[in-house]
Amino acid sequence: MRNFELIGNFLLQLLPVINITLTVSVSALVLGSFIGLILTLGKIGSSRILRGIVAGYISIVRATPPIIMIFLVYYGLPFITANFFKINIEGWNRIYFVIIALTLLFSAPVAEIMRSAYLSIDKGQYEAGIMVGMNKFQIFYRIILPQATVVALPNYATALINLLKEGSLTFTIGVVDMVAKSQMIVSNNSGGYAWQTYGSLALIYWALSLAIGRVVALSEKAYQKKRQSISI
Amino acid sequence: MLKIRGLKKSYAENEILKGIDLDVKKGDVITIIGPSGAGKTTLLRNITTLESADSGKIEFENIQGDYSALTRQETKKLRQSIGFVFQNYNLFNNKTALQNVMEGLLTAKRMPKQEARTEALKALERVGLLEYKDQYPVQLSGGQQQRVGIARAIALKPKVIFFDEPTSALDPELVGEVLQVMRSLAHEGTTMVIVTHQMRFAQEISNKIVFMVAGRVVESGTAQAVFENPRAERTRQFLAETLVQY
Ligand SMILES: Nc1ncnc2c1ncn2[C@@H]1O[C@H](COP(=O)(O)OP(=O)(O)OP(=O)(O)O)[C@@H](O)[C@H]1O
Ligand SMILES: [Mg+2]
Repeated sequence: MRNFELIGNFLLQLLPVINITLTVSVSALVLGSFIGLILTLGKIGSSRILRGIVAGYISIVRATPPIIMIFLVYYGLPFITANFFKINIEGWNRIYFVIIALTLLFSAPVAEIMRSAYLSIDKGQYEAGIMVGMNKFQIFYRIILPQATVVALPNYATALINLLKEGSLTFTIGVVDMVAKSQMIVSNNSGGYAWQTYGSLALIYWALSLAIGRVVALSEKAYQKKRQSISI
Repeated sequence: MLKIRGLKKSYAENEILKGIDLDVKKGDVITIIGPSGAGKTTLLRNITTLESADSGKIEFENIQGDYSALTRQETKKLRQSIGFVFQNYNLFNNKTALQNVMEGLLTAKRMPKQEARTEALKALERVGLLEYKDQYPVQLSGGQQQRVGIARAIALKPKVIFFDEPTSALDPELVGEVLQVMRSLAHEGTTMVIVTHQMRFAQEISNKIVFMVAGRVVESGTAQAVFENPRAERTRQFLAETLVQY
């Protein structure tokens, strides 16, 4: 009983800083998706050089452990901006560095997911679009993208949950998020109640992941009829 | 109405179309026949700009020039005045039958939604699929999908419709319904250029047959002339080989 009380109590202490986690995840989700889309265009495009660059970028990003990416951005980016652009960003809010690092990390799987979704769409439909007089943009926006989105959704959810978990490294460069807060609570209690503290933290992450899964399942359901018609 | 002269196309070293001439008049039903690999599909794809021909003259509507020098505007005009029916239907999978037919009306013709809907329903009625208007492609049989494909083409009121083996992906029992639709289009005076291996059908509905081998037109003329009185030895041989199956 006492443990439940403790966990409840810790939850109340952790939840106020959940907005850090949410800010980081949502920002990286939006920015990473955008960059991922651009990478996808490069990857399916006709320029060989561009395809090579994108492939190189993706394999490097994928081979970088999240914590190293965060350190690289935190220590490396100010160096680059100061030396090449004469801009001093050392005073930036640290959360920005985490967002940039996670954006880079997220863009790679997004590019892969979007590319394979795109490739799964039968290209005869593109030619059919041309022959009814649609332009490239209309075909992409009205025919290809809606189908690719449906195909990509489940993998997208998996990538998003990964992103959420990578966000738990935010504390490593001194941002006070839920993880940092948990550590403080434990050390304030001289190392006591540690499992109850981290248990509360885990509960929050589980709930967030479940919520993402739910949202995706619901939107899949809304798309079900179309989905049937797309997944061959 | 449509005049093609000396159309050429090569892939790498291989010249697949070696200078094709084709004349299409209003109301013509022209069937292109020939052995596999003759370049029939390639010909249709190049005439319709799905692929870019190496050279060849075209006269169509107010377009007059060489395929290698078509402007963007001319290409657009050309595509908007012709229809294409694909071997594999190529319906838009995220759209219902009705939406498939409406799509070109809404985007290319910029028709208001209500009007597009009315036009699309008319087209679906002509192919006998009115009650299937809200089905997605996957819920339709191959024959029905191809009829939606035809409705999608005719709804745009093209000057000429190209058919590339419209029945060859179909189960034999579904071929008839598609041919029936094409037959009725022919009777209504639709201008059509058809590639098919259905010789009986070709003989029945075409007023002109073009026989192609290895990127060249070997013989062309009325259905009667080509089928009953072929001049070229190669035509006789081909007809003997294909018609023996009946
Ligand atoms: N994109 C391409 N790249 C290279 N070769 C091609 C391409 N498209 C067609 N060919 C070649 O062109 C030749 C003619 O092909 P095409 O599909 O036009 O023949 P077809 O007369 O339509 O035959 P079928 O009756 O089998 O459909 C074939 O030898 C084919 O291999
Ligand atoms: Mg062919």
